[in-house]
Amino acid sequence: MINGMIESIIRIRAIAVNTLTEALRQKVMLVVVLCGLVFIAGSLFMADLAFREQFKFLKDLGYAGISITGMVVALIGAAQLIPAEIERRTLYTTLAKPVWRFEFILGKYIGLIALLSIIVIMLSTFFSVILLIQEMRVITIETPLNWLQWLLGSSDHLNDGIKSHIEEIQNASRDPRLIQAVLLVWAKLCVIGGLAVLLSTIASSTSFIVSITLMVYLVGNLLHIVRLEWGEHSVESTFLKITFITLVGWLVPDFELYNLIDEIIAGKNVSWSMTLEMLQYSALYVTVLLALAAAIFEGREF
Amino acid sequence: MIKKTLSHFDRVQKRAIVPAVEIQGLQKLFSLRWQKKSLIALEELDLEVQRGEIFGLLGPNGSGKSTTMKLMLGLLYPTKGQIKIFGHTAGTMQAKKSIGFLPENPYFPQFLTGEEMLRYFGELCGLHGKKLHERIRNLFELVDLKHAAQRRIRTYSKGMLQRIGLAQALLHEPELLLLDEPTAGVDPIGSRRIRDLMIKLKEQGKTIIFSSHLLEQVEDIVDRVVILERGRKLRYGRLNDMLTNHQDYVMRLHGLSEAKIQEVKDLLQQKLDCSVTCEPSHESLESFFINLLGRDKSDLDKPLKHKGKSKSK
Repeated sequence: MINGMIESIIRIRAIAVNTLTEALRQKVMLVVVLCGLVFIAGSLFMADLAFREQFKFLKDLGYAGISITGMVVALIGAAQLIPAEIERRTLYTTLAKPVWRFEFILGKYIGLIALLSIIVIMLSTFFSVILLIQEMRVITIETPLNWLQWLLGSSDHLNDGIKSHIEEIQNASRDPRLIQAVLLVWAKLCVIGGLAVLLSTIASSTSFIVSITLMVYLVGNLLHIVRLEWGEHSVESTFLKITFITLVGWLVPDFELYNLIDEIIAGKNVSWSMTLEMLQYSALYVTVLLALAAAIFEGREF
Repeated sequence: MIKKTLSHFDRVQKRAIVPAVEIQGLQKLFSLRWQKKSLIALEELDLEVQRGEIFGLLGPNGSGKSTTMKLMLGLLYPTKGQIKIFGHTAGTMQAKKSIGFLPENPYFPQFLTGEEMLRYFGELCGLHGKKLHERIRNLFELVDLKHAAQRRIRTYSKGMLQRIGLAQALLHEPELLLLDEPTAGVDPIGSRRIRDLMIKLKEQGKTIIFSSHLLEQVEDIVDRVVILERGRKLRYGRLNDMLTNHQDYVMRLHGLSEAKIQEVKDLLQQKLDCSVTCEPSHESLESFFINLLGRDKSDLDKPLKHKGKSKSK
C-alpha cells in the first residue's frame, strides 16, 4: 500500500517536472513574462503625485501586472495541457505506461502550479525592487538624504521631522501585508488553473477553453451583484431566481472574494485568518475541480 | 515449505498456460452522435497470441489494427467482449506493466533531449536512480543512438524516432511489445534494422504484436497473423500455412547455361507430364537496395561536420 503510494508520487512528480520543463522551454511564456516585467517597470514613469498616491498607484499597477501575467500564463498553460498532448499524440505513449489517469491530471496541474509559483515569485520580487527604487527616488527628492545614505540607512544626523517623514515614506513602500496580497493572487491563479484543467478534459479547442474560463471568471466576479439583485433579501427575488443564484454560486467560484487584495493595497487591515480562509476556500475549489477533471478524463477515449 | 514450493509451481505452471493476449468477442463501436448512428470499428474479434511469438496485425487502412492495439492498452474501452493481457484485464495497472508500446508515427515531447525523454518515461515505469541510468545507457546502445542522446528530439530523423520509440517501449523490460507500424516512413536500411531488432527481442523471449503495411517484411519475421478488413477477421493462423501452395513448387538451378536449362525443362515435361515454367531469378528491389547501400547506416544519423571551424566539447 505504502509502496504503491510512493510509486504514485514518483509518477506524479515525473509528469509535473515534465510539464514545467515544457512550459519553461516555450518562447511564448518568456514573452508573456517579459511583458509583465515591462508593465510593472512602466509604473515607475507615472504622473507627479503625492508620495502616498504614488505608492498606491504603483501597488495597483504592480498587482494588476502580476495578476494579468499569471492569468495569461495559467490560461495558455492549462489550455494546452491536455489538448496539445492529444493533438501531438504524446498522450498515447504516456497513458500506455503504468500510469493511472488521475495521476496524469494531478501531475499536469502540479506542473502548472509550479510554473505559476515561479512566475508569481519572480514578478513579486521584481515588484519589490521597483517599490524600493521608488522609495529611494521619493526620499532623495523630499529629504536631504542621497541614495548612498538611503542605502546605508544613515539618517542619524537628520532632525526628527525629516526622520518621521522618511519613516512615513518607508511605511507606504514597505508594507508587510503585501505578502498576503501575493498569496491571494497566487490562490486565485490556482483556482483559474484548476478551472482550465477541468475544461481541457472536456474540450479539445484551446480558444474554447480560454474563452469559457474567462467567461466563468467574469461570472465569478459579478456573482455578488447578481446576489444583491436577486438574492433572498432583494425585493425582486423569486424562488426560481434564488434557486438559480444558489446553483451558480455552488458551480462558480466567487472571484469577488479575492478583491481583498484591493483593500490591502488601499492600506486597510486584512487579518491573516481571513487570508487563510481564502486559501482554504481556494484549496476546496481546486480539489473539487480536479476530482471532476479526473472523473471525466477516466471516461475519455483516445 | 512444501506448500510454498507448490504455490510457486502453480504460479509457474499458470504462467506457462496463460497466453500473452486473449481476445474474446471483442466489439468496438464509435457513435456518430450527429448522424445518430454507430461506426463499427471491430466486430466479434476472437484471437489468442502465444508467449514468445511474433504476431502480425494486417489489413488496409481503417481495418481496425490501431483500434485493436488501443483497446489492448486501455486507451479505448470495448463496447462488448474482453481482452486479457497475461491474464489481466486490458487497461489495468498489471496489464500495462507487461506492455511496451510504440505508437504509429511516434510523437514524443519535442522539447526534451533523447536522454531526458527516456528518463521521463523510465520514471513513469517506476525506474529511478542508478538502475534507470544503466537501463538508458544500455538501450541507447541497443538501438544505436548513443551519439544522439543529448540532442533534442525535434532534430531526430524518422528512423531515429522509431528507434528511440522502441527504446522507450523497452524501458521497463516488458514481456509484450505492441508496435504500431514500426517501419512506417523509415528507409529500407532503417526498417531492416528495426526488423533485426525485433528478431533479437523474440530470441530474448519477448512476445511481439505489430501492424504493418509492408507485407514483404511481415512475411520474413512473423509467426502468425490475423488479417482484418473493416473490423472483421478475414484470416487467422500461421502465415506459412496460409501462403504454402502444395500444388506448385519452385526449383532453383544455378550455373547452367540457357541451353542446359531448356534440356532440363524438356526432360521434366517428358518424364513427369506436368507444366514447367523457367525464368531467371529476380531480386526484390528492397534486397537490391540494401545490398547496394549495405554499409553502417549509423554514420548517416550523425550530424555533418563542417570543414574548418569545428567546436570541440
